[in-house]
Amino acid sequence: MNDLIKKVTQLLDDKTINVFIGYGQGTASRIRTIFVKNSSQVENLVYTSDCTANLAGYLLKHEVKKIGKLGILANDSALRSMMQLASEFQIKDGEVYVLHAAKDGSFTEFADFQSIEAYLVTIDTGITSDEQERIAKLEAMTVKERWIFWNKEFEKCIKCYACRAACPMCYCHRCTTDVNQPQWIPVASHEQGNLDYHLMRAMHLAGRCVNCGECANACPMDIPLNLLTYQLIAPIRTTFDATAGMKADAVYALSTFKPDDKENFII
Amino acid sequence: MQEFEPKIVAFVCNWCTYAGADLTGTSRIKYSANVKIIRFPCTGRIDFMILMKAFENGADGIIVSGCHPNDCHYSTGNFHARRRWIVLRNLLNFAGIETDRIQFSWVSAAEGFKWADVVNNTVAAIKEIGPYENYRKIAVSTLFNEEGASNE
Amino acid sequence: MSRIGVFVCHCGENISATVDCEKVARISGELKGVEFSADYKYMCSDPGQTMLKDAIREHKLDGVVVAACSPRMHEPTFRNACAEAGLNPYLCEMSNIREHCSWVHPKSDLTTDKAESLVRVMVEKVKKNKALNSIKVPVTRTALVIGGGVAGIQAALDIANCGHKVVMVEKLPSIGGHMSQLSETFPTLDCSQCILTPRMVEVAQHPNITLYTYAEVESVDGFIGNFKVKVRKKSKSLDEHLCTGCGLCTTKCPQKKIPNEFERGLGFRPAIYVPFPQAVPNKPVIDRENCTYYIKGKCKVCEIVCPTKAIRFDQEDEIVEVDCGAIVLATGFDVLKPDFFPEYGYGKYKDVIDGLQFERLASASGPTQGMIRRPSDGEIPKKIVFVACAGSRDPAKGIEYCSKICCMYTAKHAMLYKHKVHDGTPYVFYMDIRAGGKNYEEFVRRAIVEDETHYVRGRVSTIYEKNGKLIVKGVDTLMGAQPVEIEADMVVLATAGVANKGSEELAQTVHVSYDAHKFFAEAHPKLKPVETNTAGIFLAGACQAPKDIPESVAAASGAAVKVAALFSNDLLTREPLIAVVNRQAPPVYSSCVGCFLCQSVCPYQAIEREEIKNRNGEVIRTLAKVNEGLCQGCGTCVALCRTKAIDIYGYSNQQVYSEIMALLND
Repeated sequence: MNDLIKKVTQLLDDKTINVFIGYGQGTASRIRTIFVKNSSQVENLVYTSDCTANLAGYLLKHEVKKIGKLGILANDSALRSMMQLASEFQIKDGEVYVLHAAKDGSFTEFADFQSIEAYLVTIDTGITSDEQERIAKLEAMTVKERWIFWNKEFEKCIKCYACRAACPMCYCHRCTTDVNQPQWIPVASHEQGNLDYHLMRAMHLAGRCVNCGECANACPMDIPLNLLTYQLIAPIRTTFDATAGMKADAVYALSTFKPDDKENFII
Repeated sequence: MQEFEPKIVAFVCNWCTYAGADLTGTSRIKYSANVKIIRFPCTGRIDFMILMKAFENGADGIIVSGCHPNDCHYSTGNFHARRRWIVLRNLLNFAGIETDRIQFSWVSAAEGFKWADVVNNTVAAIKEIGPYENYRKIAVSTLFNEEGASNE
Repeated sequence: MSRIGVFVCHCGENISATVDCEKVARISGELKGVEFSADYKYMCSDPGQTMLKDAIREHKLDGVVVAACSPRMHEPTFRNACAEAGLNPYLCEMSNIREHCSWVHPKSDLTTDKAESLVRVMVEKVKKNKALNSIKVPVTRTALVIGGGVAGIQAALDIANCGHKVVMVEKLPSIGGHMSQLSETFPTLDCSQCILTPRMVEVAQHPNITLYTYAEVESVDGFIGNFKVKVRKKSKSLDEHLCTGCGLCTTKCPQKKIPNEFERGLGFRPAIYVPFPQAVPNKPVIDRENCTYYIKGKCKVCEIVCPTKAIRFDQEDEIVEVDCGAIVLATGFDVLKPDFFPEYGYGKYKDVIDGLQFERLASASGPTQGMIRRPSDGEIPKKIVFVACAGSRDPAKGIEYCSKICCMYTAKHAMLYKHKVHDGTPYVFYMDIRAGGKNYEEFVRRAIVEDETHYVRGRVSTIYEKNGKLIVKGVDTLMGAQPVEIEADMVVLATAGVANKGSEELAQTVHVSYDAHKFFAEAHPKLKPVETNTAGIFLAGACQAPKDIPESVAAASGAAVKVAALFSNDLLTREPLIAVVNRQAPPVYSSCVGCFLCQSVCPYQAIEREEIKNRNGEVIRTLAKVNEGLCQGCGTCVALCRTKAIDIYGYSNQQVYSEIMALLND
């Protein structure tokens, strides 16, 4: 922890960065994101086992970007988000100072994307066994049962778009939802609008989702949104040999192809 | 009781399947009138949202058809489309949407007979499955929400 | 509010036999936005078109739907008619109520209903149509031909003879390519150089052709009609204007033992050299890697002996910029490298050679003056084994394809050998004999019957040396897979034709696609064999796939015609049905977020990056931009775009959406 404070103080003092994105104490023992702009605020940084949020999403927020050069405390998910964002030309190598927080509480500086890539191949990037079980349970249902399950879930949706705001990959200035000519997605949070919105979002995240779970964490109605995109990770890996957020110069699984891509449903 | 006549929309590419369906016509091969075609330049142009909109507006079945692999007029549009469909089918199935209502096919400009078969088989299959009540129900409830409770 | 006209065609009775056309017209007339509707016996006839034009003028129509045959049939007809009446042609759509309705369904209310809904769909689409103008791109009437082999020469001469300028770039010091290495050509056995060298000279002397030898393409920017190409002219260490090509320097150069590339290593050349006697241009270059002066810092014998003082040791590479409207790729092929065949001893035994080396041995101007002598000791071989399919059609070796030319040149080699060494015995191991082509099969027959070549159907497993002989072990599959062993004096491998070294890099520089074997990819395997997927770039010869001389020449002439057609107008006119990335006023600029996931789906490299800069010149946004010269309008990018920032004219999101709504909500 002292290492973290010392490092961030130094970075801010020598103007390597103008703001550091890290974790701080929120209300009611909750952890929240803080933006440390000078050494007097550095003491607000905390790092505990509760600090699991993927902070990479803030790298693209206009309000944060305009402060100046960014530093970030990145967990594994954040590193993967950054690689995916880099492959989509949203951040450049050397643009962001990256301090990696490992699961054991140690901090490592990553000088460039190459070292992040080298690190990422050494870790387990899969979804948790609990998540796997929940997906398997859904997959074991009939189509009609799944329809009912998701209808019940989507019924709760109030279209607050917290999922979209929390997702590091939802950085579009204008989401399909906001397009009104034509109005692809009905605006109101009725069943149809909710279904359209969530399917659209899942499809747009297919092959890009780094399974950080921020969408589901952010959902005030506890809809297990993450399962929609998590379920696509395995088929995309097995069919296209692609995993999101592993390489800064990766080609997106859905904007490339192999002439012999396998399917069994086209007649 | 009147027999169920499914509404089926076909999204096809201009160069292969649309031309194939033209050949079906020129060859006077008969098929069911339930299917209506919307023309796209290429299967690569067919956005997954278009399929969702079709179900939402009362389609009981959908046909998506284009050039065989390696025959794409634009060389690679159908390859990209194929990847998109592989992912989309996974997602729809997981979300509880009946993917057996979507027939994907490759029909070339020479396959007039195949087009008639694809249409007739799809119509028969959808008649078997029945109208897409599930989807229609939420679409109808949506309509109800939008138009207010004055109908009650 | 729209003022749409609907015109329903009976097509004689082709439509009206099963569809109630009058009813379709009547019902359509009641649709919102439809100002006028009518039905007519033959809409495409003169009176039909006149009716359409009159209605456009009289009712001030701002959209037209013609319900008739397939748009693939008459869309241009009706769009032209609209244009003649002053309506933008892209405000006209067709409903296909013949091929997709009247011809495939029986006469019934359902069929008429379907026709009505097909019209309704198009009425809704047309409401969202936009007036479009065809795209006009100026054309620079200069073609760049990359590669100076027989394909490049043919393409350059054909284009130049049409009156257009041509710039030819050849990476070697002379044009001529592989054909200039050949001794005689199948199936006529005429001397390769006799037919090729006049063409080479013609290229050099043609007033419309600028020739850059010892040069390579560095970069290609721009698009069809307007390419900007940078060509690196490698330093020849020579002032070409002063040099008379007397050749004194090449005879006095102290370095004499450099393996001669043109002779495939069977001869030697000096460090300052002309690759072969008939080279064009016939002026030397200094091979700096092997030149004593460049290695040790002293020598300069060539400079001393040069009567015109043309040697320039300090000459640097020169970058030439070429503006051109079209590019022809004619970079040819290569043959497999020796290390590919450890089992055949290629590279280990001097007398195991490849087909091109045999060409040099058989060539009158070659290292042996056309005598067939084996490289090891200069003896005349009494028995030669020719191995066809050395590498080709061998998935295990990674080359599944047939190299196509080997069957023919192997037969030719056997023949040439027999003609020069009358008591010699040629053997050919082959998998199949592929002799499709005019007079080809007859040629192979002659090799077998008249020149008594022993054809053994089977593959060679191994070759090794024993008592000064090359032992060739194989099987004869026509004799029940009986093992065959031949004691040969020399072995000639018909090595597979492969993509030229550097073809992958060149494809990336020029922005064309290539196949799994790194041959350049044609736009369509049947109908666009000389086009690439990049508009304005064409293919000639064996850079696309192994080809023989007639095929290469035919492809080159084909490519030349494509170039000439492109150059036949001042402006290139293209259909405006292309993709476009939206632009809005600052500070939004566009809903494009610059993820460029669209870039890799585009088969035409039509998506570019546009940098939006602020007043200080700093880049504040990087947006996708569609190059309208390159986009072909497939719309794959449109479907992928998450923000719907890209749309496509003619099949726009609004149009498609309206069509679905109209189709399903009757």
